[in-house]
Amino acid sequence: MTYDKPVPTPSPLTKPFYDGLKEGKLMLPRCQDCNRVHWYPRYICPFCHSINIAWIQGSGEGRIHTFAVQHRASGGWAKEVPFVTAFIDLNEGDRMATVLRGIDPAVPSAINIGSKVRVEFEKAAQDIYIPFWRVVGD
Amino acid sequence: MGLSKSAAIVGAAESNEIGYPEVPKTSLELHIEAIKNVSIQTGIPISAIDGIFSAGMSSEIAEHLGIHPKYIDTTSVGGCSFEIHVHHALLAIFAGVIDVALVTHGQNGWSARRIGHGGGGGYGGAGITSPSVQMTIPYGFSGAPSHYSHVMVRHNHLYGSTPEDFANVAVVTRDWATLNPRAVMFSEETHEFGGKITTETVNNAPMISWPLTMLHCCLVTDHGGAVLIARPEIAKSLNTKPVWIAGAGENMSHSNMLEMGDFAATSAFASSKTAYEMAGLGPADMELALLYDSFTITPALTAEMVGLAPRGEGHLLWKEGHAAKGGRLPINTNGGGLSFNHSGMYGMQLLIEAYRQLSGTAEDGVNGIAGKQTNAATCIVNGTGGSLSTTGTLILVADD
Ligand SMILES: [Zn+2]
Repeated sequence: MTYDKPVPTPSPLTKPFYDGLKEGKLMLPRCQDCNRVHWYPRYICPFCHSINIAWIQGSGEGRIHTFAVQHRASGGWAKEVPFVTAFIDLNEGDRMATVLRGIDPAVPSAINIGSKVRVEFEKAAQDIYIPFWRVVGD
Repeated sequence: MGLSKSAAIVGAAESNEIGYPEVPKTSLELHIEAIKNVSIQTGIPISAIDGIFSAGMSSEIAEHLGIHPKYIDTTSVGGCSFEIHVHHALLAIFAGVIDVALVTHGQNGWSARRIGHGGGGGYGGAGITSPSVQMTIPYGFSGAPSHYSHVMVRHNHLYGSTPEDFANVAVVTRDWATLNPRAVMFSEETHEFGGKITTETVNNAPMISWPLTMLHCCLVTDHGGAVLIARPEIAKSLNTKPVWIAGAGENMSHSNMLEMGDFAATSAFASSKTAYEMAGLGPADMELALLYDSFTITPALTAEMVGLAPRGEGHLLWKEGHAAKGGRLPINTNGGGLSFNHSGMYGMQLLIEAYRQLSGTAEDGVNGIAGKQTNAATCIVNGTGGSLSTTGTLILVADD
């Protein structure tokens, strides 16, 4: 089945991230001066304003910061409603947006902030994979 | 003399039609109608305007009016742009650069859906090529409701509040709308879902983005509005009453919600701190509050941020009736973005209602009927833009 949801276009800034996804790695930008990871990719560290930024391989683990159940959507997502969007606190720090897997959108009361999640990757186009996060524990 | 009260809002008017016009309107048309109306109201000729402030359309509007302003500001950071414009206008007048500032708004949120294009006045957020957008666009977010719902869930988690608690915001705000004949939800005659509602009505409305049902969400309407701001010598010479700008502040926590550090806080904490300090006043001095209500979570969280309620308890102002007619702190007396009018950027509607309340004109028969006018002499106005991103706070006081 072809992937019919929005597919991002890598830029020189974000290409290392997409290159990592192809190899099953969640690459994250980390400042070489203050050692903090930030998300999304930037030209400058938002914490100390250094421009010495390098990519590291993330653990692919995190926890749910907050979530919501989408009952309206457009494009390819429209036929998947209801689905659960979430913001994930990465183990390395900072936060990523996602659609959660491994949960029942009809029972939001069973989804818990703070639950453990693990990343997985879905092929969206030639050379483009998208990370999604699956609930794997309490 | 200090910055506080170095300028006053001297008039505030709307376009001839707001809400759902019979014939679709353009944003420019809504702007111009409101500008003409505020010129007539104040007696200030359009040719006397020497500073222009709008969300993204200032050069087009000035050209259309045939004026050549000395100060051009087109700050467009979402719905709070207009509170921020007032801040900037205050500074420009205090600095002696201009005498009369026009802050203007026109947005055909409703008509655009019928004529197939926006016609300007949109939110100046990050573009499709920005890395923050690239990292959120794959995930099916679809506009403001799909973002704000995450904030209510986080608030519920941290403080034990419930979506039903926030339904009270919609109910009380609707009660105010039944005193404003220009409100879309004024009555069962003006809208099939208009008139009084209960928390049951809110809970049982169609689900948009859990936990937000449709009645937790603002309207999509047309609106044009304009206010004129002048230095004291001019303000005191007019037939309209001045409403003094005692304090103003602005701030931002993020642009994309991906960067919202605390999902149960906004930059209104910082913008209100600046505004209160300028005014020499605090939350306990406020007798009226106009708090941007894009969703029920928005004014409740804002009330916490600007010190009108303890953290985690903003919604109690509505649930316990304080925000209602006759309560100790009336809030959103025009019926709000939830039930009066919300064109996409709602900050102008806040300014106009604040002017009307503090100038004693909130019950003129057209924009308010018996019971809408409060006796407030102080008002906090807080605009919120983007995804709870940017804020502008004003402390306004009535003339002595
Ligand atoms: Zn750094």
